[in-house]
Amino acid sequence: MNELKDPRKTFGEAVIEAAKNNPNVVVLSADSSSGSGLGGFPSLFPDRHFEFGIMEQGVMGYASGLATTGKIPVFAAIAPFVTARPFEMFRNDLGYMNQNVKVVGRCAGLTYDQLGSTHHSIDDVAIIRTIPGVTIINPGDPVTIKKAVHAMIEHLGPCYMKIGAPPMPVLYPEDVDFKLGKGIVIKDGCNVALIGTGTVLSKAVEAAKLLEEAGISVRLIDIHTIKPLDKELILSAAREIGKIVVVEEHYIAGGLGSAIAELCSQEHPVKMKIIGIGDFYASNGPYEQLIGKYGFQPDQIKETVMQFLNQQ
Amino acid sequence: MDKKEILKLEYIALNIRRNILRLIRAGEAGHSGGALSSVEILTALYFNLIRVDPKNPTWVQRDRFVLSAGHKCLVLYATLAERGFFEKSVLDTYGALDSKIPGHPNMHKLPGVETNTGALGHGLSIAGGMALGLKINKAPAKVYVVMGDGELAEGSNWEAASAASMHKLDNLIVFVDRNKLQISGPTVDVMSYEPLDERWRSFGWGVRIIDGHNLEEIINTVNQAPFEKGKPSVIIADTIKSKGLSFAEGKVNFHYWKAKPDELEQAERDLDAIENELKEKTEKRNNNE
Repeated sequence: MNELKDPRKTFGEAVIEAAKNNPNVVVLSADSSSGSGLGGFPSLFPDRHFEFGIMEQGVMGYASGLATTGKIPVFAAIAPFVTARPFEMFRNDLGYMNQNVKVVGRCAGLTYDQLGSTHHSIDDVAIIRTIPGVTIINPGDPVTIKKAVHAMIEHLGPCYMKIGAPPMPVLYPEDVDFKLGKGIVIKDGCNVALIGTGTVLSKAVEAAKLLEEAGISVRLIDIHTIKPLDKELILSAAREIGKIVVVEEHYIAGGLGSAIAELCSQEHPVKMKIIGIGDFYASNGPYEQLIGKYGFQPDQIKETVMQFLNQQ
Repeated sequence: MDKKEILKLEYIALNIRRNILRLIRAGEAGHSGGALSSVEILTALYFNLIRVDPKNPTWVQRDRFVLSAGHKCLVLYATLAERGFFEKSVLDTYGALDSKIPGHPNMHKLPGVETNTGALGHGLSIAGGMALGLKINKAPAKVYVVMGDGELAEGSNWEAASAASMHKLDNLIVFVDRNKLQISGPTVDVMSYEPLDERWRSFGWGVRIIDGHNLEEIINTVNQAPFEKGKPSVIIADTIKSKGLSFAEGKVNFHYWKAKPDELEQAERDLDAIENELKEKTEKRNNNE
């Protein structure tokens, strides 16, 4: 069993590390820093932490203005409240103005399991992906969360990063090569390309093992940067394997699978299956059971992949 | 203030109104009502108050100007052109494909434009962020904002207003161009904000109410800011929508003006009349000296 780490704590530690290296990093809170793993930030950097209370729309604008003066604002809060709620501020004040602001949606996907659809964030990629120039990062383990924070701070331009809430298994060694916009081939194979992202990457990793045991050779790919998409890596999988299954804790509409389908349908059409959430409001319940309801557990992913391959 | 200086500014305000007319001629239509009501505010800012350098529009120490009511862009283009940020011939491209002066301002297209506004209720929070950043940087610069009064119905403004007082942004100076009209009718009938001064005060701001067409009053008021120690300042500027055009002043249907030829001719005559008044004023002054 891999070591488990708290994604929010990991995120917060990485931001503190980045802030130590870069004096321009400031943190904005909509009554959200402590819940985002940034509870220790204000005492370490009292002049670089700004509290706004529960006003996510306002914080977006303040972040935009701060960025015009050379600051690198990091704004982390519950995912739907930094995406769906202030969408127009994200689009106009950060995207259209091309501001160097880092927005982080935490407790994303279904990880706010019990709290229901107001707090689930399974549409964030779909809506933020429509904003030109915004980099979207969805790291799938604690090591890449940390690396993603540093890469995001170094990158000039608006970013949206999403992280979950429950402890995540460590999937990568500390020295894994992480570059924005470049996917990671976790293991090579030839029967099917299994592409995972974010909170359910570890489920895809487990599913790949089960598939290998069943004699299926899997090319397992982590797409941690959903935008810009690693077109080269995906098209090579399309050309060389011809069968792609995407696993994402997101609506099928508009997510990573959708982005890959948009690419492949125009460049190299292939058979695809998207394991995601259909056109409905997700239910509530304990996280592992809830994602099991929607087919994200490793044995379920394995079955879906087997069926998909049998249909071809 | 020196009366000669005021007279000079009145001539500049006239030129800015002429530039607005030039824009309307080019585009055949535009949001002229709220642009014309803000002319004196922008004249006072860009020709007396704001520290900017048209040759170096991104000068780090500059004061910032945010046009929160982005549909008033005609007055911004007209003023920036008058101040020398770009050639006046750019004004003739209003409405054309790929013009640098769209129907709402775009900072990536035109020097001197600080923000991409147009959707209402965004400018104050962006300006607040600028003011906060300048304070962190210990820069002496100020941030000026022009908002519409109809715009105040957007709740996001009041988020921004709370945060500005909470973070003690006394380098932030906001004008509410209270021309009292919006598309559907009188602003207080559409969604009342009264008592407006009390509302701002209760959000922790220093407040003044002035005649928004009186250049001397605008300048003197801004020079007194911050009105209260450690607080952001708001100037409620009472204005007349479509100010300067006899047939349109105070009329709700000229919020967006689709200019007819006879109206354009009348507008020219109206501005000529203002010029004649200014000439008489100048002569009288010269005779008195």
